[in-house]
Amino acid sequence: MSYIAGIDIGNSTTEVCVGEAAADGSIHFLTSASCPTTGTKGTVSNTHGVKAALKQAMSKIGRDVEDISLIRLNEAAPVIGDTAMETLTETIITDSSMIGHNPSTPAGAGQAVGEILLIENISRGVPGIPYIVAAPASYSYEEIAAILNQSGDSLDITGVILQADEAVLVKNRLHKKVPIIDEVARIDKLPGGVPAAIEVALPGQTIRMLSNPYGIATLLDLNAEETRTVTPIAKSLIGKRSAVVLKTPGGNVRENVLPAGEIYLDAEHSASVNLDEGAEKIMQVVSDAGIIRDITGQPETNVGNMFARIKKGMSELDGTANGDIHITDILAVDTLAPVLISGALAGETCLEKAVGIAAMVKTQKLPMRQIAEKLRLELDTDVKVAGVEAVMASLGALTTPGTKLPLAILDMGGGSTDAAVISEEGKVVITHQAGAGELVSMLIETELGLGDRHIAEQIKKYPLAKVESLFHVRVENGQMTFIDESIDPRFYGRVVLLSEEGFIRIEKDIPMEKIAQVRRDAKRKVFVTNAFRALQKVAPDQDLKNISNVVLVGGSAEDFEIPEMLMEEFSNYRIVCGRGNIRGQEGPRNAVATGLVLSYVGEKQ
Amino acid sequence: MIIKKPSIFIYANEPDAAVVKEICAGIEEEGVFFELNEMENTNLKELAWNAANDSMLGSGIGIRGTYIAMQMRGIEKNRPVESYQNPDKEQCRKLGANSARAIKKLPFK
Ligand SMILES: Nc1ncnc2c1ncn2[C@@H]1O[C@H](COP(=O)(O)OP(=O)(O)OP(=O)(O)O)[C@@H](O)[C@H]1O
Ligand SMILES: [Mg+2]
Repeated sequence: MSYIAGIDIGNSTTEVCVGEAAADGSIHFLTSASCPTTGTKGTVSNTHGVKAALKQAMSKIGRDVEDISLIRLNEAAPVIGDTAMETLTETIITDSSMIGHNPSTPAGAGQAVGEILLIENISRGVPGIPYIVAAPASYSYEEIAAILNQSGDSLDITGVILQADEAVLVKNRLHKKVPIIDEVARIDKLPGGVPAAIEVALPGQTIRMLSNPYGIATLLDLNAEETRTVTPIAKSLIGKRSAVVLKTPGGNVRENVLPAGEIYLDAEHSASVNLDEGAEKIMQVVSDAGIIRDITGQPETNVGNMFARIKKGMSELDGTANGDIHITDILAVDTLAPVLISGALAGETCLEKAVGIAAMVKTQKLPMRQIAEKLRLELDTDVKVAGVEAVMASLGALTTPGTKLPLAILDMGGGSTDAAVISEEGKVVITHQAGAGELVSMLIETELGLGDRHIAEQIKKYPLAKVESLFHVRVENGQMTFIDESIDPRFYGRVVLLSEEGFIRIEKDIPMEKIAQVRRDAKRKVFVTNAFRALQKVAPDQDLKNISNVVLVGGSAEDFEIPEMLMEEFSNYRIVCGRGNIRGQEGPRNAVATGLVLSYVGEKQ
Repeated sequence: MIIKKPSIFIYANEPDAAVVKEICAGIEEEGVFFELNEMENTNLKELAWNAANDSMLGSGIGIRGTYIAMQMRGIEKNRPVESYQNPDKEQCRKLGANSARAIKKLPFK
């Protein structure tokens, strides 16, 4: 009797599977475990993660790592995934020409036009001129109301802009009701004496006049040329509940188009494409290029810097010379990123066009033998580098109940989406495509403007719910769930994630529907695109119709909705597709590690 | 017939005037009605809990001197949703606003 361990070192996760080889050559599986990969895949620092995973697995059956007589390590594919994001446009406000935001309690719906008058200068107001009064938080709501009521007889005050959250308090004390916008942080930047238009939307609605170029023209009396220049302002105010537009002579909102740069493909059919042509065009060029040797970007441009950064990062990590690192595939995805507008008065953001890119970096053959040697010394066991990753994954996937040859597998990991097809004769064809779970997380992070990868990762993994009372939540699919113990008030009214460990609060105020939509779109953009790309490459005659079964494995196959999305897409091709269940119990995990143990038998015979 | 507006109840025992003013401002900015009653009870948690249960809207505030607490119907008496000892102006405003946001089903500040 001897214990054999299969070990799969991935970009994200290190998985182990331990089996017992009987004298008759049969394998009896005993235990498995997984740990986060330590260091870049294929480097000696991986051994920490390997040892941790082995220890975890062996302790489950009350054994020690020393009891293992043979470790089989995968010949990890020398491909490492990386992601990057580049915005293509930027919006700049010159001369503070607008405010557009969503204070939770503005007051007095409607629009008004007037010259900006700072409250400290109210005594200098001239009768007969309409004014919009701006008041900083150093004035209390009672003082502001008193001043306005006093001046109201002589001055024509049409609207108010406040720094503090006191619009309703002021309105309730005014004799004459006017629209009031509050929570304008940088009120000190408002220029006095400038004509301005102000609008507060009706409850439950968004503004109509100031989000329309002709609306602004009507209120501020603009000519055709001026109307054209305020169009970006109108555009950036769409969907807001309150806004101010100032008619400053040089004032403007400018949309800069950043020089995006060319992507050069050194390939079977070399080609180049400009980043700003969009993801679809880029992916078409990538697909037409055939086998790609390397991808670079135009020097001194965004895309050039982006690829240089990826290569530099890789060479620093694994010590390979920069020249030996090649980008052999990319997945480009169009996205929108909310970016803080420079020059904004109330923290306004604008959705800027951006492109997310996952790159597949090929290095020299990974030094798996060094890792094997280190493990052999440290654990005092026999260590063998055995078998190609995708082949092992296929072997493991075949332990899913209900599968048979020929079979296609789709290994959806963190950095790459790999596909393999095994024919009835056992012949295997494989491919690695850039882009997987990491890119999905990055898209969620940027599109929702989270600035936090960890919460993006959690949004990806768990369904959403809205806490509607202290005793129930409405799940994103519409279902109501009631809870006996009252819910912690910290979650009240919030959008939360339903994780195994309870609620996770989303700090940013974004509607549940919007989060769900961004999440699903990100998954579709990455995994539907990549599933087709990958399977097309490995399908006999490059025709998807020649594939009948697809087993989904890898971390991203654990996702609660990706397998269903793919199932739907593939049903059009009459392909049976589903989440794998390795050895009938592991779910989509542990395929490669299981394959490594299984292949031991084959090798012995 | 006396028709009462649905209101947040504030039950107060020897309340500090400045505290009352800022709490009420917090509620008013959110656009909800409130009703202030002086009480004999000196237990802060009970004041808040009773106020929440007596309020038609299920939201109440207790004030005992410069101690304040916010409660919602259905929550245990001993676990007020939010409470402060000697709060500053911002905390009073926030507690008032939250008692209103509880009714509006908006997240707390
Ligand atoms: N429950 C889950 N739902 C959705 N995604 C998940 C879940 N669990 C893990 N993932 C994702 O799976 C990815 C990691 O997958 P996996 O562990 O298979 O990668 P790997 O094989 O180590 O990496 P690679 O394939 O890039 O070499 C991560 O992006 C992670 O976010
Ligand atoms: Mg307000």
